[in-house]
Parts: sequence; structure tokens; C-alpha cells
Amino acid sequence: MIEIIFASGIAVGTALLFPSLGELINQRAGVTNLGTEGGMLGGALAGVIAGLATGSAWWGLAAGALAGVAVAAIFAWAVVLRGGNQLASGLIVWFLMLGLTSVIGRDYVGQGVTSLSTMPIPVLAEIPFLGRVLFTHDPLVYGGFLAIPLLWWFLTRTRAGLKVRATGERPLVVDAAGHSAVRTQFTALLAGGALTGLGGAYLSVGQVGNWSTDMTNGYGFVAVAVVIFSAWRVGWTAGGAYLFGAMIATASVLQARGFAVNQHLLDALPYLVTLVVLVIISARRVQQPEALSAALSTR
Amino acid sequence: MPAALAAFILFAWTQEATPLDLWDALNQGVLQNATFIQQTLVRAVPLVLAALAVVIPARAGLVNVGGEGQLILGAVAATGLGVAVGSSLPGPFSWLLCILIGAMAGGLWGGLCGALKVWFRAPEPVTTVLANFIAISIMLYLLYQPWRDPEGTGQPQSRPLDTAAMLPMIPGSRVSIAILVVVGFAVLVWWLLARTNWGFRIRVTGGNPEAARRSGLPTARLSIASIGLGGAMAGIGGALNLIGLEGQLRPDITIGFGFVAFLAAFLARGSVVKAALLALLFSAIVVASNPLQLRAGLDGSAVYVLLGCLCLGMAALSRRRTV
Repeated sequence: MIEIIFASGIAVGTALLFPSLGELINQRAGVTNLGTEGGMLGGALAGVIAGLATGSAWWGLAAGALAGVAVAAIFAWAVVLRGGNQLASGLIVWFLMLGLTSVIGRDYVGQGVTSLSTMPIPVLAEIPFLGRVLFTHDPLVYGGFLAIPLLWWFLTRTRAGLKVRATGERPLVVDAAGHSAVRTQFTALLAGGALTGLGGAYLSVGQVGNWSTDMTNGYGFVAVAVVIFSAWRVGWTAGGAYLFGAMIATASVLQARGFAVNQHLLDALPYLVTLVVLVIISARRVQQPEALSAALSTR
Repeated sequence: MPAALAAFILFAWTQEATPLDLWDALNQGVLQNATFIQQTLVRAVPLVLAALAVVIPARAGLVNVGGEGQLILGAVAATGLGVAVGSSLPGPFSWLLCILIGAMAGGLWGGLCGALKVWFRAPEPVTTVLANFIAISIMLYLLYQPWRDPEGTGQPQSRPLDTAAMLPMIPGSRVSIAILVVVGFAVLVWWLLARTNWGFRIRVTGGNPEAARRSGLPTARLSIASIGLGGAMAGIGGALNLIGLEGQLRPDITIGFGFVAFLAAFLARGSVVKAALLALLFSAIVVASNPLQLRAGLDGSAVYVLLGCLCLGMAALSRRRTV
């Protein structure tokens, strides 16, 4: 049972991992994006539509990432170029996407889409326990494993990553050094959007195999919480995403075993755990990006 | 604004609702609709109060995105009390108790997030959002199991409240007196924030926390109180919506109202009067777009697209100013 919880926790957590890493890029560049939930919805629906049209899960995932970029572009326009309030703009974008995907998605509800097939990794999958937990998944889960060190390397070891971090700390310095904080922030938001949309598409195409209205069910907000409680570190963000996945898996395993707990109370468990962890970690004083939530001057 | 409307019209067109259909829907929903104003006022009950739930903590520098959950728990608490009391109490007593317990439920839910902020520095824009999902789960749990009306069919719902527990209508209309209570609370909140010592103190706390602390203000208590009072307003909104209109709890009793109200309050930039008026406007938009579904064949959620477009237009046009 522990094995099942961990294995499906990794799989479910992957749907949250990509949006969390995307949100991490956003916040390191100084923007809290509550529109992540909207980007996931857009990615989830676009993934199903493209998956149905092409019959390939991979096109679905690509379309999801593109949709995520498009949603992020709306948010970035409002926040970076127009100087709109970040929290409100994020919620507005979520709202917009909730409406758009409900209306457009009505015709797609319940239509099954070819999902990714699992691809156990030859030798590694044989390792007791760990092999089952880590190496018997679909390719995107492995992609997630790779994305974690890649993002860490990008943020901490490359010039572009330095520019992103500098924009989140001292945007004026970035401008003074001859770069553009505005352009960096805009690009960071689009990149985060691509990951967010990919996560949404992984949820619909990779995990569930169809579209249902409002299917992201708050995952996008959890991603924001995960980034904050990770204290803006890549490894912890990934850990938080998998933890949340494990909570969801625990809830469904308990239910499948006929555990005498109400399903709706179990549904609250992941959010409750996220909240508790967020509170525990916030209690320690951590350094957030200095210019987080500050509007840039676009002139 | 015209751009936002144009965007919505274009979107509707792609969904095979022509501008003529939209006009037809508007015509049916507003011009030909004799009860348009009444319906708007009925909708405004939860929306205005949930908007106040945002405005009060905003003065103290706190962002309350938890209006949805606070509305829900207000309705849940009022349902619990209303069903338990049945017809054993005369109307006015049961109304007062319902409002009171709704206020307590919403206030605790909001105040809890305020306390987490003050004691543990947990960011309240995130905790209040997470709290919404927990509140929804609590309501669904109650509705699907202990409170489910055994005689109901289809969607789960609670037992209906006794007619004595329901607020009476304003004579000659189909609007309950809940709207008068709402106006009362709006005035009260305005007075509290603009005219009292307490209102001044939370403004200082929000404006310059350091200065507030140094001048000896109990900033922690003021912060918690402001978001608790906000939550209480939303809780009252949930309770009034229940005893003024719905009469029984059902899963989509407040679907999205807390968020619509947040946008109204946000766009009003913390002004009580503007927030209440914008909430009223949004409630009119929600009502006017009901026929979109029947007349123009759009999904009911199309109204969120319309509101999203409008708010995006408004938010992006108001540069550099934040609540």
C-alpha cells in the first residue's frame, strides 16, 4: 500500500510539479502569479482538444504548453506592461479561463483521449520498492525528474538565470546594467506559463484521459503555496509538489480500501496539509525575493 | 471597456452566438424582464457583503481572497441552525440567530487566516484561497452524508428550512428584506471605517505597520480583527442568501460569488461605497446574462468570460495603483 501511495504520488505530483516549477520561475523574477490555476485549465483543455484531433498525447502536451504561454501572455500584459496588481490580475485571468474553458470545453466533457503509455525503465525498475515508485511511469514523469536539476542549473549557473534572479531582487540594477527588467520578467512569465500549461495538459491527457469542467480543482493555487513554502528553492518546490501528489494518492487509496472516511473530507486533506506545511515553514523567517510583488516601472 | 466588450462579442461569435443573439438575450434579460431590478437586488445580497469582506481587511493591508469559503460556511452554519431550530422559534429570533451564527462561522474562518498571518507570517492571499477549498469540502461532506435530505432527489441538498425561518418579502415584491439588512451593514461598515477610532487605527496599521507598532497600536490584534470582521460580513452574506432566498443548502449555492465580489472590491480600491456599487453592477451583469444560456445558447459560465474581460480591462487601465 505504501508502494502504491508513493508511486501514484509521484505520478499525480508530476501534474503539480510543472506548474510549481513555472511559478517558481515567475516568483524568482518578482511576480506572484495566481493565474497559474487559469493556465493549468487552459493547458488541460487545449491538451484534450489537440489530443483528440491528432490522436497523439504528445501533440496534446505541446498544445497544452502553448495554451499556457498564451494565458501567461495575457497576465504578463496586464501585470508587466500595464502595471496591474499581481494578485488581482492573477485572479482575473483565472476567472477568464474558468469561463472560457467551461464554455469551450462543454462539447469535450468525458471524451476519452489517448493518454501516455507507461515506459518502465529496463534495469532500474527491478530495484525493490524504489524501482516501482520511481521508474515505472510514463515518459513525462521522467521529464519531470530531469526538469528539476535543469531548472536548478538554469537559475543558479547561467547568465540568463542570474538575470531572472536579479530582476526579482533588484530590477533597477538590471536596468542599470543595460538589460531590461521588463523584458526579463515578461519572458520569465511566458516560460513559467509553458510549464504551467504542460502541467495542466499532463493532468488531463496524461493522468485522467479526458476533460471535465474545472478539473484542476485548485492545483494552481497549491502550486503558489508550494513555491512559497519551498522558500523559493528548486529542490524543495519539487518535494512539495510530490508531497501534494502523495496526499491525493493517499486519499484515493484509503477510499479504495473502503476506509470509513468520507470522500469529501479526504478531498480536503491535500489542501489542509499544504496549509499546515505553509504555516509551519512561514514561521521561520525566510528571505523572499526582495522585489517580489513590486511593480516595475515600464517607462 | 469597449475593447473588453468587443472581445466578449467575438468570443461568443466563435461559440455560434451571433451579436444578434446576444442582443436578443440582453433584450430578454433586461429590457423585457419586468423583474430585472428585483433579481439584481436578490443577487446583490451575498455579493455586496462578500465585497465588504474584502474591503475591511484591505484597509489593514490584508488581502482576503477567502470570501467564497466564508460565504459557504456562513450558509452552512445558518443551515445547521435553521434545520435544528425548525419551527420552534418565532421568526425574528431564528433570523437573528442565523445571521449571528453565520457571522461567527465566516468570522472564524477569516480570522483564522489572519491569525496564521500574524503569528506565523503565513501569506494570507494564499491561505485564504486554500481555506476556500477546505470550506467547500466541509459543505460537500455535510451535504452528501449527515445533512442530506432523504426525500430529495438528484443533487444532494439539505432539508428545507421552516417557512417561519425564512425572511419575509418586501411588500409588493419578490425581494426579501435581506437587502435592507445588507444596506444597513454597508452603512455600518462605512461608518466604522471612516468615522471611528477603530477604523483610523486599522488604516494606520495597513498604511505604515512600523509607525503603528511604535505608537503602541496592537497591530496584531487589529489585523486579526479586520479580517475576522470581513469574514463575518461574508458569513452574514451566506446566511442571508440562505434565509432570504435559497431556503436549503445545495452544492452550488454560492458558485463563484466570493471571487466576483473580490474583483468588485479590488476594482473599488478599498472604498466601501464604490465596492458596494460595483458589486451591485456585477450582480446586474450576472442576472442580465442568465438568458445568454437560453437565448444565445452559450454555457452558463460565459458570464465569467464577460466579467473576466471587463475586469481585465478595468484592472489594466488603472495603472500603478494598488489596494
